[in-house]
Amino acid sequence: MVKVVEKRLTDRELLVSALPATLIQVAFFVVPLAMIILLTFQTAKFYRLAWTWDFVTWQDVFSHAYYWRVLLNTVINAAICVVVSLVVAFPFAYALATRLKAFENHIKVLIIFAFLTDLVLKTYGWALFLDKYGVLNWMLKSVGIVGPDFDHGLIFMPAATIIGMVYNLLPFMIFTIYLSILTVDRDLIDAAYDAGASKFRAFWEVTLPLCRPGIWAGSVLVFVLSLGVFLEQKILGGGKSPLMGELIHQTFGTRINWPLGAALTVVVILAGTMIVLTFSRFYRLQKYALR
Amino acid sequence: MNDVSWLKSLPKYHQRQFKARGYDKIFGINVEAGEDRKSRVSRRGFLKGAGAAMGAAAAAGGAGLWPGRARAACTMNFMTWEGYDDPRIVEPFEKENNCTLKAELIVDDPGAMAKLVAGGHRDFDVAILDSPWNLRFGPAGLCEFLNYEDFEEEYDNMYPQFAHPFTPLMWEDKITGLPTRWGWVAVPLNLNYSTIEEWQSYAPCFDPANKDKIGIMDWGDWPILPMAFYAGINPYKELDRAEINEMREVLRALFKNTRALFADLTLAQKALIDGSVKTLLGTGTYTTSGARLEGHTEVLTIVPPPKDGIKQGTVWLEAMSIVKEPNEPEIAKKFIKHIASTEVSYILSLTELTANVTPNKRVEELYTAEEREILQADDMWDAWENCYFHDIAPNTDELLAVFQEELSRAA
Repeated sequence: MVKVVEKRLTDRELLVSALPATLIQVAFFVVPLAMIILLTFQTAKFYRLAWTWDFVTWQDVFSHAYYWRVLLNTVINAAICVVVSLVVAFPFAYALATRLKAFENHIKVLIIFAFLTDLVLKTYGWALFLDKYGVLNWMLKSVGIVGPDFDHGLIFMPAATIIGMVYNLLPFMIFTIYLSILTVDRDLIDAAYDAGASKFRAFWEVTLPLCRPGIWAGSVLVFVLSLGVFLEQKILGGGKSPLMGELIHQTFGTRINWPLGAALTVVVILAGTMIVLTFSRFYRLQKYALR
Repeated sequence: MNDVSWLKSLPKYHQRQFKARGYDKIFGINVEAGEDRKSRVSRRGFLKGAGAAMGAAAAAGGAGLWPGRARAACTMNFMTWEGYDDPRIVEPFEKENNCTLKAELIVDDPGAMAKLVAGGHRDFDVAILDSPWNLRFGPAGLCEFLNYEDFEEEYDNMYPQFAHPFTPLMWEDKITGLPTRWGWVAVPLNLNYSTIEEWQSYAPCFDPANKDKIGIMDWGDWPILPMAFYAGINPYKELDRAEINEMREVLRALFKNTRALFADLTLAQKALIDGSVKTLLGTGTYTTSGARLEGHTEVLTIVPPPKDGIKQGTVWLEAMSIVKEPNEPEIAKKFIKHIASTEVSYILSLTELTANVTPNKRVEELYTAEEREILQADDMWDAWENCYFHDIAPNTDELLAVFQEELSRAA
């Protein structure tokens, strides 16, 4: 029999058991974040930090519309990436968990291999595939989808950035959804069939709602990781639609403006957190509504 | 196995490199005749030999007999652009000085500078950056100044243009670094898709007929410089508000025709070779020479004539400095002399990735006609005359911000 024991935050045993996790969080998340925030109030002079404590950097951030334009572009890109990943990953994960049992482990190993392959290699692989002399262009021309005078290829187009992002982040979505599908109680689906539900209705009203935690977790993972990408945009997208990851990278690396780079980092973290929290709120409200 | 036609099909430069690296001996191929010296080496024989060699190497390594590395008396660290870490340059020096060299490759000067300023200078003995950054070492207190007397022989070997006192590398009359390799940034083009006459200025970058045909190197302020020249602005002086606004307009117009911003050299070279772009702003011989090395002599860099009294290109120069308080000061000095020597300058001017001229005039005697063509050596003094020497541009940060802003607007 399971006994539920209420714990208070002052409970000594609870505090001791939570201490290692708390220390790790503080050392590797809170302290670096605090340092980044502190950095935003300094200035950079002659490639060195000057400990000046002022708001110059934040004035810069709030007085230039283009930082926010790039942020909006980044969020839109991340949202598209989440939607496309979801559309690709769900049927795949569903088939993997329910229809491809015989090949399940082989397929999982293949996905993990692809996932663990170096990001730069994978992205350059896509560059060759999407190039004007690449396989995709040849195929599209062969079947007549594009005319023979289409000599660009998909490379250096916004779609190429999305393809690269989806490919690199897809395993996060696949595995979280796959795990949630595995936890769905088969008896509930059978009960739906017994009650006269069609296959689609059973899927729509039983399986899909029960998979929502996996869909939600995968979407959050892909969204948050999408906010930081820059390689796909640089190599596949041709660098013409700057994303926050690239802007921050350039600000730290090329302009050597660390306070501004830190401020832009804080902006991305805050924007990402706010968007996720907003959607969490809707998610929770919807959950209660369903009850 | 004995067919060497593949070798014969390579450009002569590669055939010579094949021999220079001793591969002809390893594979038993007579490069000149294009014949297989053996027929004498069978596959079985080769595998046996290779197996024996690997076994011997493993045994020697295990017994601590591997020359140089295991027993090196010292370690010298250097921060460098590609090419200087070529085994043909590093290994003889290690052997001669019983010292291990560790190279850290850099991909941009500002990042390297920031690392040194942030305390990274304690980790390095030598730094090889573009000359304006070596010059910055002086006021930043990041380098040991070089004594002219110690490097008199190296200066004697240089073209008069680099003779002492070479002011671009002097701060308060003290030498911050020794010149090592140079080239020019102007208009890279492919003669299969463009003509030299067409590119007598940067005007085609704005021609609607060239929409999606202009490539930009995503290398900091490098692509901004030619646009400033085209706008009649000298970016190496302090710019006023009107000039900054003019730059904004020029960049806005440029991005309308831009196909892509390339951060990667090979993708950029490929785009120029296959005609995806007609030019690449922000680069020059550093990029085109790589294509010429591969036999694409239709790819070259030209310098348009001056416009309204403003030169239309930039000469860049890499230089070596001894970092402040090095761990191995004598080895660092020897290494600089080693790099500046005629033999090493020759190797450095023709690396696998790129080919660039050096300040060492004696190297010219070693070049073949083909190598001179790869390097565009006949054009170098015209380029020198028609280009600004790359210097510290006072408004770089502001121009970079404008560049990013206009790019985001174009997107």
